[in-house]
Amino acid sequence: MNERSSNQSAATAPDEISLSCRGPLVMLFLHAAFWLVAASVLALVASLKFHSPAFLSGCAWLTYGRVHSAAVNAQLYGFAVQAGLGVALWIIAQTGRSPLPHPLGFIIGAAVWNLGVLSGIVAILAGQGTGYENLEFPFYSALLLFLGFLVVGSGALLAIHSRRERSLTPAHWFLVAALFWFPWILSGAYLLLTVWPVRGLMQSMVVWWFGGNLTFVWLSLVGLAALFHFIPQILGRPLHSRQMALFTFWTLLFFGSWTGIPSTAPVPAWIPALSAVMTLLTLVTLLSAWTNLRQTNSGGQPLPGNLAPLRFLLFGLGMFQLAGLMRIVLSLPVLGHITSFTWFAPAQIQLQSFGFFSMVMLGAVYFIFPRVMGSGLSCTKAPLRHFWLAAVGCLLVALPWAVGGVAQGLKLADASIPFMVISHSTLSFLRASSLGEVLILVGNLMFAMNLLMTTTRCASTFFLPAFLAITAQTPKAEVKP
Amino acid sequence: MSQSIKRSAPASPSSSQPLLKEPAFPIWLIVFLTLLLYAGAVYFDGHGSGFHPQVYAPYSSYTQLADLQITGPPNPLEIGFRVYHKPSCVSCHQASGAGSPGQFPPLVGSEWVQEPEPGRIIRAVLNGLQGPISVKNQQYNNAMVAWGGVFSDEEIAAVITYIRQNKDWGNNAPAVTADRVKAVREKIKGHPGPFTADELLKIPAAD
Amino acid sequence: MNYGPLVFLTAFVALSASWFGFVLTPQIQIGRLTESTNTLNTAELYPKARPGQAAQGLQVYRANGCAACHTQQTVQEGTSIDVYLLEVGTNAAAVSTALVKANVGFTRIDDPGFFLNLPKNILPGTTIEAAKRAFKGAQSAGAKAQIRINPQGPDIARHWGVRGSVAADYLFDQPVMLGSQRVGPDLSNVGARLPDVNWHLLHLYAPQQVVKGSLMPPHRFLFNVAKAGQHPSPDALQVPPEVAPAPGYEVVPKPEAVALAAYLVSLNSSTPVFETPMTLASSATSTNSPAK
Repeated sequence: MNERSSNQSAATAPDEISLSCRGPLVMLFLHAAFWLVAASVLALVASLKFHSPAFLSGCAWLTYGRVHSAAVNAQLYGFAVQAGLGVALWIIAQTGRSPLPHPLGFIIGAAVWNLGVLSGIVAILAGQGTGYENLEFPFYSALLLFLGFLVVGSGALLAIHSRRERSLTPAHWFLVAALFWFPWILSGAYLLLTVWPVRGLMQSMVVWWFGGNLTFVWLSLVGLAALFHFIPQILGRPLHSRQMALFTFWTLLFFGSWTGIPSTAPVPAWIPALSAVMTLLTLVTLLSAWTNLRQTNSGGQPLPGNLAPLRFLLFGLGMFQLAGLMRIVLSLPVLGHITSFTWFAPAQIQLQSFGFFSMVMLGAVYFIFPRVMGSGLSCTKAPLRHFWLAAVGCLLVALPWAVGGVAQGLKLADASIPFMVISHSTLSFLRASSLGEVLILVGNLMFAMNLLMTTTRCASTFFLPAFLAITAQTPKAEVKP
Repeated sequence: MSQSIKRSAPASPSSSQPLLKEPAFPIWLIVFLTLLLYAGAVYFDGHGSGFHPQVYAPYSSYTQLADLQITGPPNPLEIGFRVYHKPSCVSCHQASGAGSPGQFPPLVGSEWVQEPEPGRIIRAVLNGLQGPISVKNQQYNNAMVAWGGVFSDEEIAAVITYIRQNKDWGNNAPAVTADRVKAVREKIKGHPGPFTADELLKIPAAD
Repeated sequence: MNYGPLVFLTAFVALSASWFGFVLTPQIQIGRLTESTNTLNTAELYPKARPGQAAQGLQVYRANGCAACHTQQTVQEGTSIDVYLLEVGTNAAAVSTALVKANVGFTRIDDPGFFLNLPKNILPGTTIEAAKRAFKGAQSAGAKAQIRINPQGPDIARHWGVRGSVAADYLFDQPVMLGSQRVGPDLSNVGARLPDVNWHLLHLYAPQQVVKGSLMPPHRFLFNVAKAGQHPSPDALQVPPEVAPAPGYEVVPKPEAVALAAYLVSLNSSTPVFETPMTLASSATSTNSPAK
């Protein structure tokens, strides 16, 4: 087993489980990497608009509103959910000790998913977005996403069902819930927004319900699953407490699903009040996950060659706390009224979606990829450099936004300060964050190039066994590389 | 090969039964959750407004909201203000009532608006105006929309009262009643198009 | 938790509960609103569907992601209640006595100047009970008074709206785009604040010409710059020389720009509703300027 824990010996022949993962995971991770780069390019373009309002303003396709939501959606559906699915497949296959059934099915599902993302991004840039936050993809793109997820998700559930190691780990609970959660909320939202459209503000209620359940609950489910799985594995010691993980799981599902309504929402007062209470209660989710993983980590040393993945994971854990606390601040009545509508909210989203989730996923991919490919990464030093670029970049984007947002909120609360003055006072913060966007983009390019080079380096050698594994009728058949 | 992996399974801790004894669940977490639940319940009791669909922040109960519904006779100046800003009149005559020079005549200090008898201004508002008109010794030549089909008698009366009695503009002329507007509406049934200034001047103001 | 079905059940129960709470219950409460005479003082129906061109403009607003920078929701933080004395009537002494007896904070009113410069706010920021007592007292003594209810908050002080936004304000919009960020000002009541379509067209074409230092990118792709022929287009935009096209050319708004401007002008949430009681300003305060 030791050979699977270090980079050098990961270069030795992968087992049948890793082999069954190779096709689907390469498919998912390479596309995720592509969308990650695309999202950071789009985010950078949006950010540069604050240096000069006229920047690229002549073209309708590149107007701020479109580029901004294209960036958010590419990050969310192109990278986050896709990479999450890949990491979920790996964890399920590894902990269940059984190969993925029907690898070709996963590849087809991933292809459909990417078709959905591509059509959605093009539609947003072409002005066909729906106008609903986090749900900008038009109906046909969402349908493709739904079908793609259904194929990959049901394959993952089949893999759980046919596992050889019967006992379920904490990561399993989170992943099973996540596999059901996403299609439920996606279909629930699109049915009520396009098929049987609800009227008036109910649209916003559906959007908020979906947004909270995707950006908080779903991302936390998959991100925590990865943390609960990989941190113990990299440190070579068990998770501190299963009971606490169960507590995290329950509180995340039962409290987290009631969050997401802004404190300023123009709906009957009980709705934001209830949402604020539930968001406050997610504090115990944060605390239990933090305590559990800190205890697991304390005094531990990563197994050789896994420093970079561990850094990514621990940084993600820290940002999970920070983003969760900022989310509570946004939902509380007094603090929320100051921070809402300011740059504090995008800072929170950035920390939640990039600082926490993407960093965890990047760490997991850096851990998984050499193992699934049966070879070291093309550039073994790149992960640690990427870590520094991504961590500094993420903070350099989020912190100016958060600080500038609080300053902006305090000034907005004072009606004697003209709005134009406030807008201009935020500009220096926004411009500082462009530098962070550049760092993130460089890091993401390194990541994508690394995966691509590793994959293509010995494509023929490494894909033939994967191809055989895919075409083999019985996935449990012994396929020797 | 998979055999060897299975044998060495304990090295992959997360996938096996705990090797160490499960530590006791931290009681402080339960205590903390209980405290948060209590605080949340207290807060929701004060701000949840009993799930009432009509109570919005910053109000916290229906009785508080109902107390603030001041019912009284409608104030024509308030209705007039709203009709004026529909946007209807305000699009041309501006919120300041100054119009725009050379294009739309002012209402501020206008002799047409402040005639003691409102017959002409009512006609102008109901059917619209077309062609040259002199206001405050300035010539204007434009078309005014007919509002008779858009607003009710009450609303027309209110908006004319509003422009005639607007203190900020320095206007001060008697109010116009809905009955008066109704009467004028009956009289001009045979005149479908907009009026001209000359036509209006021929009509006795008291008519 | 060693059973997959149990995990499934937990997730299902948790998500259904939030769906019942945050989708189904609100749907019953606010999803079935209709036009009604919910308003104060008049029999006017509210809300009303947007006229055709403005409804098309909503789609232009959606397509270009305007909601990324503009919110459409006025936040109300509180309410202040004032009592205005409009006319004192014939017997000032009786009014003084009545106001003192109403127990609203006056121990005695000797100053004859108290009844000058009417209308005058005699009880700024009072409670509704005190306001009603003072109102009744003044009326019984022959004076004319008015209770004014003023929604408060920074948004309202900035003239972004006159009252807090409520569900009825958005009833006929598809999609509803509340927005979550104020890179630009709030637009929930922009039609009342800036009712001039031409202002909006010029602002879309060259924002910095209309609002000094504006951060809004120009939306020139909503306009055609065409050669002015023998008969210049009647719809051509009057643009200031700084941004004027080459001589002989004119700027003609595309239908999208006209629709968007019509939509912006139709954004008006100044009708009073039961949910946010208010007394409308009965004098024309100057609101025809860009919000602060």
